[in-house]
Formats: sequence, C-alpha cells, structure tokens
Amino acid sequence: MTDHPRTAVTRRGFLRTAALTTAAVPLARAMSASAQARTAAKVLDFQTLADVAKAEQEGEVVYYSHDGEAGIGVLLDSFKKDFPKIKTSYVRLQTGALYAKITAERSAGRFGVDVLQLSDISPAIDFQKRGGWEVHVSPELAAYKAEHQSGPAGHYTWGGVSFAGISYNRAKVKPEQAPKTWKDILNPAFKDGISAKLATSGMQHAQWYTLRKLYGNDFWQEFAKQRPKGFDARAQLFDRLSKGDDRMCVLAEYAGYTLFQEKGADIEFVAPADGLPATAFFIGVVNRAPHPEAAKLFVDWALSKRGQAVYQNQKILLYGSLRSDAPPMPTGKRLSDFKLLFPTDWNDYVASHPVFVKEWNSIMGL
Amino acid sequence: MTHLERARSWRPGPRLVSLLVGGGAAVLVLYPIAYLIQASLSVGDPQARPPEAYGLSNYTDLGRYAHIFGNTLLVAAMATVLAIVFGFAMGWILSRTNVPGRAAFEQLMALPYYVTPLMGALAWALIGSPTSGFVNQVWRALGGDGHLIDINTPWGIAWVMALFEGAVAFVMIGAVMKSMDPALEEASQVLGASRLRTMLRITLPLVLPGVLGAAIFVFAEMLGSFSAALVLGLPNRFYVVTTAMYQLVSQYPPRFPTAAAMGVSLFAVMFAMVWIYRRIVSGGSYATITGKAFRPRVMDVGRLRWPFLGLCLGYLGVAVILPVLTIVYASFQRLTTAFPRRDNFTLANYATALSLDAVRSALWNSLLLGLATASVGVVLMGFLSWLIYRSRLPGAGLIEYLLMFPQAVPRLVFAFGMLWAWLVFPIPIYGTLWLLLIAYLTVFLPLGLRTISGVILQIDRALEESAQMCGATWGYRLRTVTMPLLKPGLVAAWLLLFIASVRELGASILLMGPKSKVITPAIVESWFSTSSELTAALALLQTLAVAAALAIMFAVARRAVQAGGE
Repeated sequence: MTDHPRTAVTRRGFLRTAALTTAAVPLARAMSASAQARTAAKVLDFQTLADVAKAEQEGEVVYYSHDGEAGIGVLLDSFKKDFPKIKTSYVRLQTGALYAKITAERSAGRFGVDVLQLSDISPAIDFQKRGGWEVHVSPELAAYKAEHQSGPAGHYTWGGVSFAGISYNRAKVKPEQAPKTWKDILNPAFKDGISAKLATSGMQHAQWYTLRKLYGNDFWQEFAKQRPKGFDARAQLFDRLSKGDDRMCVLAEYAGYTLFQEKGADIEFVAPADGLPATAFFIGVVNRAPHPEAAKLFVDWALSKRGQAVYQNQKILLYGSLRSDAPPMPTGKRLSDFKLLFPTDWNDYVASHPVFVKEWNSIMGL
Repeated sequence: MTHLERARSWRPGPRLVSLLVGGGAAVLVLYPIAYLIQASLSVGDPQARPPEAYGLSNYTDLGRYAHIFGNTLLVAAMATVLAIVFGFAMGWILSRTNVPGRAAFEQLMALPYYVTPLMGALAWALIGSPTSGFVNQVWRALGGDGHLIDINTPWGIAWVMALFEGAVAFVMIGAVMKSMDPALEEASQVLGASRLRTMLRITLPLVLPGVLGAAIFVFAEMLGSFSAALVLGLPNRFYVVTTAMYQLVSQYPPRFPTAAAMGVSLFAVMFAMVWIYRRIVSGGSYATITGKAFRPRVMDVGRLRWPFLGLCLGYLGVAVILPVLTIVYASFQRLTTAFPRRDNFTLANYATALSLDAVRSALWNSLLLGLATASVGVVLMGFLSWLIYRSRLPGAGLIEYLLMFPQAVPRLVFAFGMLWAWLVFPIPIYGTLWLLLIAYLTVFLPLGLRTISGVILQIDRALEESAQMCGATWGYRLRTVTMPLLKPGLVAAWLLLFIASVRELGASILLMGPKSKVITPAIVESWFSTSSELTAALALLQTLAVAAALAIMFAVARRAVQAGGE
C-alpha cells in the first residue's frame, strides 16, 4: 500500500498553505521563468524543456485523464516505450468528476498529479483562473497556432480534435430517409429512435452551441420532441446503433464510427453539409506536480509529432492533430478535409455552459 | 494489591470495549456524513470547499426531481418484494424441506450474488432489449411481431435488481432458517396443521426479524442500486436517484450540493424503516435457540418436492445460467447478435482484457481488499451486533440507527463525503488501499449488521446468562457461547462482505487512486468507452477470479479444520 505525500491537514494548516502559496506565486513565476530560460533539448525526434536525466530520476508520471482505460493504456505504453525508466500511473474519470477530484485534492493541500487532460475547455479555463496549471511553454508549441493554445500560452494546449456528424443504421433507415443536413434530424419519422450524449459531454456542449448559433434557439426545442435518449459515451451510442436499438445517432464521433465499422456494423456516417461540430482535448502540466520534469517531458512528448501520432493513429483514440505538420489520419483524411464547426467566441461558449446543462438535462428527461 | 498489580490484572470491561468499538464505528460513519450534510447546505460556488454560504435551497429545490424520487421508490419497492419472495421461498425450500439436491442447491443459490449487478444487467440487456434482445430476435425470426419482452421497463429493472442485488436476501433469510428449532414446526404438524399453514403461522413469524431485516436491507440496497438502472433505465429515459446523482456529479460544474441533498433526504426513508424494524422486533420474542438442544431437521413435503425442485432450477436458470451463458457468448463475439456466425467469432476481447496492466493489478487489489474487509468486518460487525442487541449498553439503539446511515445514501454520494473527510484527515491514507478498506468497512456496516443480527435475535439470552451465573467473564461468554451459536450468521456475513467488496462500485470510483485501483470501476469504464463484448470478457474474468479465490480459501479452511481434527 502506498502513501502519498500530503502537506496540509488542518484548517490552520490549510490557511497557512494558502497564504504561503499566495506569497510564493511571484517566486514560482521567477523560478518558472528560469526554467523556461533553459534551452530546449532534442530527445528522440522531439524538442523538450525538461531535464530528461532528472525526469528519469523522478521515475514516475501521474496522469489524470477523461479518456477511456484502453486509450490511456495505449498512450502510456507508447510513452513508456520511449522512456522505460519512467513509470506511469493514472486516474480516469469523466471530465466533471475528474475536475471535482483534482480541485478537492488541491483544496486539501494534496498535490499528487503531474499531467491533466480534460475534454472540455470550461474546466480548463477555470483551472487556469485558479492557478492550477504550471506555465510550461513547450518548444513543440511552435507547431501549433496561437488559437490552439491557452492565453497566455503555456497553461494548456489543444492536444487533438474530435468531431461529430450523424450516423444511422442502414437496416433501420431507408436510403431516401437518410439525413443530409442537421435539420433532417428533426424529421418526425425518427421519433423515439435517436440517441445523443448527456450533458456530461464536452462534445455535446460544442454541438448544442454551434448548431444553436446556426439555426437559432428553437432548434433544440424542436429536437426535444423527438424524445432522444442520452448516454455517457460514444461506445454506448455506437453499440446501440450497430445493434439496431437506435436508428440514428446525432452525436456520431468519427472515431467511434470507424471502430464499429471495422467490427462489421451496418452503419453509415454522414458529414452534414452544414458542418461538423468539433471540440478538442486540453492537456498541460499541473503546478506543484510531484514529478515536474517527468510531467514536462510527457507533455512535450504528447504535443510532439511522435506523441500526436499515437493520439491520431491509434483507433481507440483517433484525435485529429492540430500540428501544422500533421500527417493524414489513418482513414487517409486530414482535419482540413472536414468542415469543422468550432465556437468562435470562447468567452460566450464558456458562459453558455450552465444554460446548456439545464436545457440538455431537460431534453434528455433528467 | 499494589497499583502495579492492579494495573497488570486490569482487563477492559464490556462497557469500555463497547464504548470504544461502538463509538469508533459511529465516528467512521458520522465523519463523512458531516461533510455530506455540509455540502447539502452549500448555496455558493458548488465546488468551493468549505462552502461559501449556507442555506436550504438545495432541499427546497428537490421538488423538481419528484418524478425521479417516484421512479426510485417504485423500482425499489418492486425489486424488494421480488427479492424477499425469492429469498424466503428459496430459503424455506432449501432449509426446511427435503427437496432433491438440497445441499448442492444451497451452494448454488448464492451464485447470483457472485454475478456483479453490472454483468447481470448487461446480460439481461442482451437477452431482453426490445430490438436487439436475443429473445426478441428469435421471436421475430419465428414470425412474431414487435417484441416479446422489454427489459427496459421499470418491471425489467426491478427484475434484474431483485435477481442480482436481492440475492443477499436468500443468504440472510437462509441463515436465520438454519438457526431455527424444527420442533416448533413439528409440533404444529403433529397438532394437525397443514404444511402451508405451518409455514405461514409458525415458520414465517419465527423468522420475522430475519425477513424484516433482510427486507429493510434489500430495500435500502435497491434505493442505492446503480448498475441496473444505468444499463436498463437510460435507454428508456428512466432515471432513478442514483443515475440522476451520477449525472449531476459528472457534469461540469459538478452539482454536489444537489446530489448531496438528494442523498441526505434518503436518510428519512431509512430512519423510518429502521424505526419500524425495531418496533416489530422489540414487541416479541424470536428466540428459537434456547438451552434445549436441537438439530435442524427437514420436513418431508412428499410430491411437492418436484415442483420445488423446478422452482429452484428455474431460479438458477434466470439468475445464473442464462445470464452467464449470454455473457460468455457475447465475450467471444465481435458484435453480439442472437444468431452465431463464424466471421463474428473472436478471441480479441480476452486478449485486450488480459493485456491491460491496470486490470490485472485492479483484480489483485480487489481480492486483497475483499479478504481484508470480510475478515476485519466479521469481527467488527459481529461485536457491534452483540453490542446493539445483547449488551444493554445505554444508547445501543442509537448506535444501530447511526450504523445504518451508509445504507441510506447511495454509495456514490457517500463516497464524496468520504473523499472530503479523508482528504483532510491527519493520517496520510488518501489514495491508498487503506482508504478503500476503511470505506468498505464503513459502507458495508449495515450489510454485516443485518446478516448477523438476524441470527443473534434468535439466540436466547438465557444461554449467556447461564454462563454468567457459572462465573464466565463477558469475553469468555462471547467467545464460548455467543460466537459458536452465531457461526452460520458469521460465515454468511464473511461471504457476503467478501463478494460485496470485490464488486463494489459507487465508493471505489472516487476513492481509488492511481496506485489503488479496483476492478469493478474498470469494468464499468470499459462499458462506457469500449464495447459490451470487451466488458463481457472483463466481467467474466472478474467472476472467475472471485470463484477461484473462494474455492482456494474454502479448500484451505477445510484442510485446516481436518488437520485440527486429527
């Protein structure tokens, strides 16, 4: 059984820690600046600011992520192959619960996480406001546009993109009924046969937001009349679609579609002409990480071509890379081949989150 | 006698030990609950710890979830009735009648409890979903229209909950029945009462505390049931309190205060249940184990043996054989359908399941925790049962109320209380298996108490009092009189605690750390993020590992007993 380091146990201790933390911010910034001043070194085929020898001495990286166990396993195994002296461990929860766990831990003075990956930008921004990210301007950020980085850069970065269209079961939907645009999902013929995600999903928020911008506030109220069924994850959506339990999935992530199509599911993917709602995952080094050098090394690796190849090529992950030099995805397509719908005003997007949760819960019968 | 001699000869009295153990257990429960109540009163930033402002709005706003509370009470009541009817009927048939293969059935009847609720729910989803369910696929292939069964209805959910989470009722009621003197039933029959009349007028009233205890426990278990409602309810937009809470705490920002208020409001239901239970058991005498010696004997039920055998086989069929076969079949499929095809067969699900490092270590951790929880728990909960029902300690009744708290709140929410409580605890156990052990001992207190106390109430106080009259100390009495008589209850409690720990989900999801993973959350996660087929393989591996661990433990125990006898 393993004991983790802890730093505060009483209210007084907690307050003292908080005071020290506040006082230490300028010092930490200075130290951080000094760390940033370190010149980037080439390791394998990527650039890193981490001291690799120190990282190996630390010997471990603790990763908190929203991705599935199998996806996390693939990612961490790839990192371990490159850095066998660094052990990996992780906690996997949905973004809301994961963020709640890390904030509860930090408010109690426990700092056991090195790298955090979230599927929703709202908690990523909130974490930045709370001073949770370590400022680490990875040399690999040179391959990313400024709009795909936190403002200012170095807190978190868009590590990859997932997008969703419509998918339907070919045995249950006649070709002439097949949807072509988002408005087709309002066809009453599909009533009681539609699935989507629940309000826990960052991707669902992105879809709600972008289509609301396209078609107005009434679009989703019309959609509610279809009595859609809500699920937590894409695997459930495609599992049900493949078996014919639902006729259509209106938040069909491309990654989920390719996995189930390979398994022989009789399903079709539609990229609506009006665009595909898209969202990213957000990754960064957590401040006061117990293994800071290993954390930086991991994030530099994850953002590099090498790490992005894992995110993009492993079918259990299949996140499109936002690197300017990213190769095509395993399907032969690039992100630029799709008409992706991203929110244009991120402040408005984040502010809309409570409205989304309330409306979406109601649509899903919660 | 000098002070030193007095100190050396000092032995802790029953009052002191009771106070320490009872107080310790109460603290174990109350400590996280205090945090939970605090969260339920938080009206500021839902993520702020400690809360920024206090108020009652989380409770007053619960009215908008009235339909969810209604759904919860409906399926919990239906499932409890089903589980108690199954449990009592099977318990009576196997303990009191000469049904063929009784001994073997007795072992087999506990099997549904080995099947995790998630595995049971997945299996029945594959069997009874309106479109893709195997039964309905076969029905349509035979020319039928629509669907024959629909497992996604409240009845379907209650059915699955009763089969897999209510199986505990059989173990609890069975333990009570075994401890009952058959002379009372025989006397009834000698006096001309029919078998049915004897069962209803003699057997049922005598096992009433056990049945009621089991009913209360099962009802509370159903209130907190998660897997069946998650797998079977969501496809029909049917939410219960646990699935609603899961959504509320998984959303960003997590709505802990609402979820905590929902959880705390369930205390009222549980208090009412425990109050009714205590009123009933305090109003009569249920002692059937007295100073008079007896050997449990069975009744000859004549030709009724065969219908009873059919009932036992039918129950095993729907609770074990059918779901396990379905899961085995699905685990070898790429995409499960009712009609097998060679190109759909694969071993890839097992290859993936066994390749996951985290799954292997999680399985080992789960077995270790199961062993520790069951062994420590049986001693702790056995003592607490004695303390509540036998010690005459002032406040013993209050301790029972307190110890039932964890059963009243869905474990997912209780886990948040534990997370907040143990995060700031001065001993660094957060993120370790020790925290999970404490969590399991806390959340399973009601399970252990209900199982053991059903049997304790049947032991005549006169037996202990006789020993006392003969000069035995309280510890000696406990060890040589009470504990041996409690053996069936203790064995049942050990088994239940072991299984319950290995399949625990709600508390583990939040409390496990990067190096203290356990298996059931990994399986649920697999269902979320991969496929039913891989999940089936994982669930089957978990069940096999538990069965293997139990078989080894029983073999070792049997060998030790034999060696002791020689």
